Amino acid sequence: MISKVSKGFLAGAVVLVLGAGAAYAALAGDDAITARQTCMKASGKAMGTMVPMIKGEKPYDAAAVKAVLDADGAACAKWAEFWPEDSKTSKTLKTRAKEEIWTDPKGFEAAGGTYYKAFTELAATTDEAGFKAKFPALGAACGGCHEKFRAPAP
Amino acid sequence: MNPKIFSKRNLRALALLAVSGLLVFWVASAPHPLSQVDIPAHTANLENGKLLYNIGGCISCHASLADAEVPSGGKPLTTPIGILYPPNLTPDPETGLGKWSDVDFVNAMQKGLGPDGTHLIPAFPYTSYVHMKVEDVLDIKAYLDTLPPAKNASKPHEIPFQFIVRRSLGLWKWIGLDEVKFMADPKQTPSWNRGAYLVNGPGHCAECHTPRTIFMSSDVAKLFQGGPHPDGKGKVPSLRDLIGRGRYKDTKDLVLAFQNGEELGYDKMSSGGMGEVRTHIASLAQADIEAIAEYLMSLK
Repeated sequence: MISKVSKGFLAGAVVLVLGAGAAYAALAGDDAITARQTCMKASGKAMGTMVPMIKGEKPYDAAAVKAVLDADGAACAKWAEFWPEDSKTSKTLKTRAKEEIWTDPKGFEAAGGTYYKAFTELAATTDEAGFKAKFPALGAACGGCHEKFRAPAP
Repeated sequence: MNPKIFSKRNLRALALLAVSGLLVFWVASAPHPLSQVDIPAHTANLENGKLLYNIGGCISCHASLADAEVPSGGKPLTTPIGILYPPNLTPDPETGLGKWSDVDFVNAMQKGLGPDGTHLIPAFPYTSYVHMKVEDVLDIKAYLDTLPPAKNASKPHEIPFQFIVRRSLGLWKWIGLDEVKFMADPKQTPSWNRGAYLVNGPGHCAECHTPRTIFMSSDVAKLFQGGPHPDGKGKVPSLRDLIGRGRYKDTKDLVLAFQNGEELGYDKMSSGGMGEVRTHIASLAQADIEAIAEYLMSLK
């Protein structure tokens, strides 16, 4: 018979081991660069769908907005793992990540938090008025990070 | 090895050569400031001064460390020649421009000279401001005079051999300072000319968007072709053929980009310091932003 206490202990141990495994499997080097570029491309695609609706060039389409934001959210889900120290530069990949990401981690985290909040609020909108009201904050949050933490294009 | 090379006669000739070389350097690098008679009588237009202050983005370099909105200087500016501390532009008499006359200000903006005749380092883009109408320069001075004086003594720049570097700028001005005033092109629209003036004069866009020659002066043959970013990483993009290169659809598109940036999904202007420049441009009147866009879109 395994007592309740040891059950709890066992469960804790399993969580610890799984946690360590997850940490071990965290993104590193070029994989991190590729992952964040995939995320940025998804964000770019989402913008490409949403901006014409904001500008009034295309009618608002709630389903299309949800589709691109879901895809963007999925591609960027591991955001916190995108920035290991060994991904500052790469021998084979180009990256515009600036040194400030690692020298100003608090600023970077805050900019990421602002983005996440704006993204969540936009994704929660269901009608055109809400969508148009929440969109600028998301765009500004993109800029807030790009200005400080993204180098000019090569 | 010929010991005769070091003969007394040769050494004397060498000394003479060195002294005359120094003399030529000294004369050629001398400052040539304007004097009071060169400054036209002018009634200041504060509104215009503020507009030009904004399009020049003076605050970007002259901000104080304590308050990003106050141009009392001190925020370090890293350049290839060393760390500069842009000075205090507020009218504080001791540490700012409070004691500067109009002619002092015009000399700084258009001759690259301090009130004592020192050559100013062209990180301060007098190389563009030189093309401005002197009345516009006076309006900026008048606007600065209305700001609350802030006491903030300028830190000395951290440049090796500063005296020699500064004096040599007198020579550099021969090649690096094109003193021609902006001339309107009668074949173009008034708004195009307005845009050209704002871009090439107070806006000083060419300082970063034009590559430099080996003498570190703007390569006018490659005007607005882009170049290496002064921070070292990445490039400053070309401003030529913006439509053909798929950057912006038309003038209206570029105006929206200036006014909204990423709030409307325009992400081309939000790195390398352009984000801040964009917000300054966005603060201008619609007609001026349209004029700037009209001119830029015409660059081939």
